[in-house]
Order: sequence, then C-alpha cells, then structure tokens
Amino acid sequence: MSQTETVHDRIEQARTELTPTQIAVGLALAASLGFVLMFLQDPMVHDAMHTFRHGAGITCH
Amino acid sequence: MWPTLKRGVAAGGLVGVVYGLFTAVVVHPLTASLAEIAHHGGHGHDAGAHSHAVSETTTAVVSVGSGVLWGIFLGAALGLAYYFLEPAVPGSSATRPYVLAGAGFLTVSVGPWLALPPVAPGMEHQLAASTRLVLYAGLMLAGAVLAVLGTALYRRAGDRRRGVAAGLAPIVAAVAVVPLLTPTVVTAGGLSTDLVAAYRGLVVFGQAGLWFGLATAFRWLGPAPTNLDLTPHETQI
Repeated sequence: MSQTETVHDRIEQARTELTPTQIAVGLALAASLGFVLMFLQDPMVHDAMHTFRHGAGITCH
Repeated sequence: MWPTLKRGVAAGGLVGVVYGLFTAVVVHPLTASLAEIAHHGGHGHDAGAHSHAVSETTTAVVSVGSGVLWGIFLGAALGLAYYFLEPAVPGSSATRPYVLAGAGFLTVSVGPWLALPPVAPGMEHQLAASTRLVLYAGLMLAGAVLAVLGTALYRRAGDRRRGVAAGLAPIVAAVAVVPLLTPTVVTAGGLSTDLVAAYRGLVVFGQAGLWFGLATAFRWLGPAPTNLDLTPHETQI
C-alpha cells in the first residue's frame, strides 16, 4: 500500500469497496449491538457480568 | 477493509481467550473474595443490600465469557480503526499497531479512569448511574483528544526521540494531575487503601495487557513488516 495515502483516501476506498447495502447492514449491526448493550442493564444479565465489569474498570453500582 | 477487520477480530479472539483465562484465574476469584470481605467485614452494610440476582457460578461463567467477548470487540474496533486511521498513525508498520492500541487504551480505559477510577467490590459510586454514563462518554472523548494531541505534538517535534517525549508529555501530565483535581466519587467500602491500590493496579495491568496483546497479535497476523516503509514524514526527520 502506498505511503502517501491519507485518512481521506481510506474513507474513499471504503466507499468504493462497499456497496450501500453493506454499509447499511454494518451500521444496523452496530446500532443493534449498542441496543443490546443498553438491554444488558437488565439486573440478571448485569449481575452475571459482575466480576468482569470490576476487572475491566467499568462499574455501575 | 475486510482483511484488516478480519485480522482485528482474529487478534481479538486469540487475546480474548487469554484475557478470559486471566479473568477466570485471577480477576474473578479475587473480586469474589473481596466482595465477601466487603459484605461481612464492613460495618453498616446489611446483607440484603448486596444480594445478587444470579448465582456465583453463573457470575463466574458469564464474567469469563464476557472477557473473551471484550477481547473480540476491542480487536474488531482496533482492526476497523487501523484500516481508516493507519495513514495518520505515527511509526513504522511494526510500531503503528502499538501506537493505535495505546490510543485505544487511552480512550476506552485511561480517559474514564481519570475521574471515575476502577472500584473494588464493596466500594460505592456516589454519583447516579445516569450522571456517570454522560461523564463516561465525555471522559472517553477526553482520552481520544489526548491521543490526537500527543500525535500532533510528535509530528511537530524535530526528531523521533524528542517527538516521543513531546507526544507523551500531555498524556503523562493528564494522568498525573487530573485524578488529583477531580473530587473523589467513590466510598472506601471497608477495604484498606493498600488493598484498593493493589486492586486498581490489577485492573490497569489487565486492560493495558489486553491492548498490548491485541497490538502484538494484530501485527503478528499481518504482513511481515519491512524497514523500508517509513512514511515520507519520517524519512525527513
């Protein structure tokens, strides 16, 4: 890969490489993952991840 | 884009398994034991206040599994970010994954920890969860800004060694100063200061190790690095 590339080139490259459908599917997946993360606030799931959250330095209680 | 993303996910899978084992062998037993101490040794806590919705075993299994998924998630994020940001990341093809992983660590963990330090079990946050969520997002942004600022200062400096020093300066300064300026937002929860410090050290070690492992695996899975691929900018200095 050429070393004179810029971040802008990469964005353009992604635009030509990916079809609009692929981009839409990717964004939908990311949004749904975000939604699931919110859903994980549910006490049962939330508590089950308890030690992991402490270990990762992300705590909610 | 696809090969880079795939490489990130593969690196995340490898490192996620190791991090899951670390969670199983070190973090989970330690956290569970500290929770015991905090519940029974602390005063003023009634047992009911800390009862959990699920069993101990479920917590262990899900926490270890979450460790694996955490590795995969961060690996995918690293791969995707690497695809887009590689031209802007300083260093050779061998060091760039480490620089980007460092920026990731700064954004995902160190930034939020500046005001919301890792807590051991039994310690309580004094701010409401909704306040912390907003604060968390803002601090992640601050971490990312620090990474960008460090990169800009690196590029402005004349040579490589001075560049590294200039780039690290604002990050080291923020890590040293900001926690002293921000108010304490957690209660000690009956654990000694030493124990809390040791626990925090373990959390920092775990997350830093995770990012270091991701960068190593990401580089290892990629094309063999050559010495001839310095950016034009670096050939000048």
